Amino acid sequence: MGEALTVSERTGLGIATVMARRGVDAAAIGAVLGCALPGGPGWRNGGDLSAIGTGPGTWLVMTETGSGDFAEDLTQRFRGLASVTDQSSAYAVFRLSGHDARTLLQRGVSIDLHPAAFAPGSAATSMISHIGVIFWQMDDAPTYEVAVFRSLAGSFRHWLDSVAATL
Amino acid sequence: MSRLPHGGLIDRSRPLNFRFDGETFAGFEGDTLASALLANDVKLVGRSFKYHRPRGILTAGSEEPNALVTLRSGARAEPNTRATMVQLFEGLEAQSQNRWPNLKLDLMAVNQLAGPMFAAGFYYKTFMWPRPFWEKVYEPVIRRAAGLGELSGLPDPDTYDHDHAFCDLLVIGAGPAGLSAALTVGRAGLRVILAEDDWELGGRLLADRQQVDGLAGEIWAERARQELSSLPNVKVLTRTAVFGIYDGREYAAIERLADHLPSPAEGQPRQRLWKIVAKRAILATGAIERPIVFGGNDRPGVMQAGAVRTYVNRFAAMPGRRAVLFTSSDSGWQTALDLQAVGIEVAVVVDPRSSAPTVASDVQRAGAQVFLDAHVRKASGVPVSKVEIMRSDGRVVKLSADLVAISGGWNPAIGLGSNLGHRPKWCDERGCFLLDQTPPGLTAAGAAAGRFTLAEALADGAAKAVEAASDLGTTCTAPDFAVSEESDAGAAYWSAPAPRGKAFVDFQNDVTDKDVALAAREGFVSIEHMKRYTTLGMATDQGKSGQLNGHALLAQQIGKSIAETGTILSRAPYQPVAIGALAGHQRGENFRPVRQTASHDWAAENGAAFANVGQWKRAQWYARQGETHWRESVDREVTMTRSGVGICDVSTLGKIDVQGPDAGVLLDRLYINTFSTLNVGKARYGVMLREDGMVMDDGTVTHFAEDSFYVTTTTANAAPVMQHIDFARQVLWPDLDVQATSVTEQWATWSVAGPKSRELLQAAFPDLDLSNDSFPFMAAAKFVWQGNPARIFRVSFSGELAFEVSVPALKGQDLLAHLLASGEPFDAIPYGTEALGVMRIEKGHPAGNELNGQTTAADLGLARMMSKKKDYIGRVMAARPGLVDEARPRLVGLRPLDASEVLRAGAHLLPLGAAPVAVNDQGYVTSAAWSPTLGHSIALALLSHGAERHGETVLVHDPVRGGDIEAAVCDPVFLDPEGERMRG
Repeated sequence: MGEALTVSERTGLGIATVMARRGVDAAAIGAVLGCALPGGPGWRNGGDLSAIGTGPGTWLVMTETGSGDFAEDLTQRFRGLASVTDQSSAYAVFRLSGHDARTLLQRGVSIDLHPAAFAPGSAATSMISHIGVIFWQMDDAPTYEVAVFRSLAGSFRHWLDSVAATL
Repeated sequence: MSRLPHGGLIDRSRPLNFRFDGETFAGFEGDTLASALLANDVKLVGRSFKYHRPRGILTAGSEEPNALVTLRSGARAEPNTRATMVQLFEGLEAQSQNRWPNLKLDLMAVNQLAGPMFAAGFYYKTFMWPRPFWEKVYEPVIRRAAGLGELSGLPDPDTYDHDHAFCDLLVIGAGPAGLSAALTVGRAGLRVILAEDDWELGGRLLADRQQVDGLAGEIWAERARQELSSLPNVKVLTRTAVFGIYDGREYAAIERLADHLPSPAEGQPRQRLWKIVAKRAILATGAIERPIVFGGNDRPGVMQAGAVRTYVNRFAAMPGRRAVLFTSSDSGWQTALDLQAVGIEVAVVVDPRSSAPTVASDVQRAGAQVFLDAHVRKASGVPVSKVEIMRSDGRVVKLSADLVAISGGWNPAIGLGSNLGHRPKWCDERGCFLLDQTPPGLTAAGAAAGRFTLAEALADGAAKAVEAASDLGTTCTAPDFAVSEESDAGAAYWSAPAPRGKAFVDFQNDVTDKDVALAAREGFVSIEHMKRYTTLGMATDQGKSGQLNGHALLAQQIGKSIAETGTILSRAPYQPVAIGALAGHQRGENFRPVRQTASHDWAAENGAAFANVGQWKRAQWYARQGETHWRESVDREVTMTRSGVGICDVSTLGKIDVQGPDAGVLLDRLYINTFSTLNVGKARYGVMLREDGMVMDDGTVTHFAEDSFYVTTTTANAAPVMQHIDFARQVLWPDLDVQATSVTEQWATWSVAGPKSRELLQAAFPDLDLSNDSFPFMAAAKFVWQGNPARIFRVSFSGELAFEVSVPALKGQDLLAHLLASGEPFDAIPYGTEALGVMRIEKGHPAGNELNGQTTAADLGLARMMSKKKDYIGRVMAARPGLVDEARPRLVGLRPLDASEVLRAGAHLLPLGAAPVAVNDQGYVTSAAWSPTLGHSIALALLSHGAERHGETVLVHDPVRGGDIEAAVCDPVFLDPEGERMRG
């Protein structure tokens, strides 16, 4: 068994909001990305891209390979299919991993994280400590990632540290 | 010492020392404070709320009304703590309450002599007149005389945690019914949470000498605990009180993590607030024993019969040496047997019924007298020493006893079940109120459902669990239990016929039978009215022990049955909850989330004072060394910006990307002016209305590409405008092909303003051509800065030549450093929101104080922006007569006639010579500032017919802060009305 809990902040991510134009479905967007997209709230990983469903026809698309031209590149590829907005600076993304990660996250969200209800590939948009969050589960460790608006990262970190201390 | 030599579930190998009112006592691990006090012969524990009556320990549970103490000392002192709920720990410290100078000699007990003054409704009747006396005399006197414990007044040193849980079945209470339910469903693999207030599972199995499956009750309970703990699908929460039921099958509970320790472990929370979402729930909270109303029924030494069994059997503590049993239920007779079994003398069993249960012969054989058709009239002594009994033949027997155990039957503990408004219903068959209808998913089981015998409770818990599982599509089997026989026969018996002396129905709020009678006489015949008039059931214990006796007495008074009068609804919290537990980690500076811009740390290091703007921290001004007053800093920032160049963080403004083929169409419908015709590479000021025609927000819209617009909003309205846009495109016009998303957090934006702003930016971005020809007023462009996407806009809030530059927030700090470095030759300075405010007032720009939800576009002088060629949200309602009335207050400027006078926001405007009364009010000052540019105070105001009154003098009336000022009405644009500076 690994560490009980590892918390890290992801850096250097390229993040973009992709919103389908009218009449364009998830499959068409996924075909361009080369990554099957969830039809509802969910997280999918395809090569160096991952996508989180955050609303009807709306995904947060992320890459680890640089933030510079990511959104601009997507804008070109999605011309006529989707509206793309650069959000690389907008979110601070925290990774929580280890067998205490579920306990920790459950203290924050009023969403059932039992493996039968929330498994790798699940995602949700919710609140933690009055802070809006988007979070998703990546593996059975379990590993979760939590995205919060960057301006709120300090307050989120306060909650995280306060609760982690009680584990 | 009153500790029995043997028995009990206490650990005699682990003695504990504790202090009560400064005196040191000894108890054992496994004691409560109440049991340890009884074992030390301490019977007088507190004084009552109104009459300062001496009080002892009535119960052994969470319903305790009397034994309230202040637990711990200093900042951790917690008043009104129920001694029956405190698990004893080494070094525990407790103080009695509401007594002066001490518990045994309480001078305030004279309140009893003034009894009539404190009767029901005395507040309403006695202290009506003379009116001024209420605040100055009556209230302070009453507050000193009445009350319970006091708060420490110090900050709470503990921390509190929150958690969430989800389950198929929540079992509330781990007595026989709860354990049987949890075992039944737990074995079937469903997700179960079992919440128990006590630190041990078992409920009455710990207190009664009963057997289950051939095992002593406590042993069976321990086996059940072990089995439940071994099931991965079952979570057992001890020391956890479920205190409320809410919509959506949500249950709130408090887990007392560290209340049984001298102090929480370093860094660990004291308590945890749980929000539990349960598909089904079983209310297995048991029953609370009914007291009986008779004179002196509140004397220390008068105790619930069931509590007596608990103290004797579980804690091996003797509540007395010579007992009188006063019971109308067979379970009370069991108390006599249990007392006799440990050698405590039972002098008499008094039963108002005419026939005795079968156990009576055993009780008599052990030496007790039995009086049937009889009642206790009065108990006296502190603690109790004399009891007066009225026998069936009319003879009064007086005898000495130091314990009066009472039982008027049992009330199912169903308070939680009425949290959502389901009123309990009287059941004649079982002689108690039961839940008739319940919150969705909840069922009562066991004693809480009127199944009082152990056999019934175990079977009912299992049966209700099988039902719940079946509802969820799981089949499971109810286990069988072999249980010893007992009788739950009894008569609902509320009060002795003619109590002598004070007889209480609410011990904690000092409500007597006479108060109920008075309420009835005065017409308070509804249960809920009588409750409020007499305060019956309104203390911290919510009347759990005696209030039903009061309800029954009211029924008697008005000649109805208790089934007809009914009972009250119980509201959450069912148990007292510390406010800190509700706050959790959100306290102090973390009371609410804080939003910080990219330059926050830099600003903090450079003398910034921060203002809270919603959740944002915004730099108000940057104090330089030697500046001792904020005005010095602000005046300098304004002057240096207007004469040179200043840089301001405007990242908090709302920013929204609006994209798609129909983006222009949507914006035309949102704003009063037109955007679909805006050229690419241009920005335009816009105003949007609410549906009701009032101004909602203003900002700029920039056209970046054929299908891409960039909208800015005020800081305060960022989220409402985003919601407004989403509502418009998702609900009003789903046919439009338009997408929108907030980018407030993506971009850090700096306003660079002042006559030297162009020079600064040309130095910072030499590749850009910012000349007036290439980049005129309201131009906008994307560019790349150090490999990052960047944007530049020529917009001005200050009225100066000004630009805004945006880069991704992660680069915001770098850009600020670059701008400041590039600005060094020009003496560039950072300026804060105060200077920003001064400059926008000088320029007559409306902001939050003017966009106050009560102004129209015309009020703000923006009528000509309202397009007549298209429809837009709010257009129709903006044409209502009241909104186009020419007499409406309109935006004007004000300058004091005497330049040394100071205008203040909030002051009202009157015609000269008019009396300062509301009918003469013509408007008010919305924003005011000292203008360092003009050298006098200036203000924006909303003034009736304002646009036509420039040049007129009005009185600026400020009754709150004093001082009336005469001011000239003028154009709201104080500075550069032609706009030459910003267009230059």
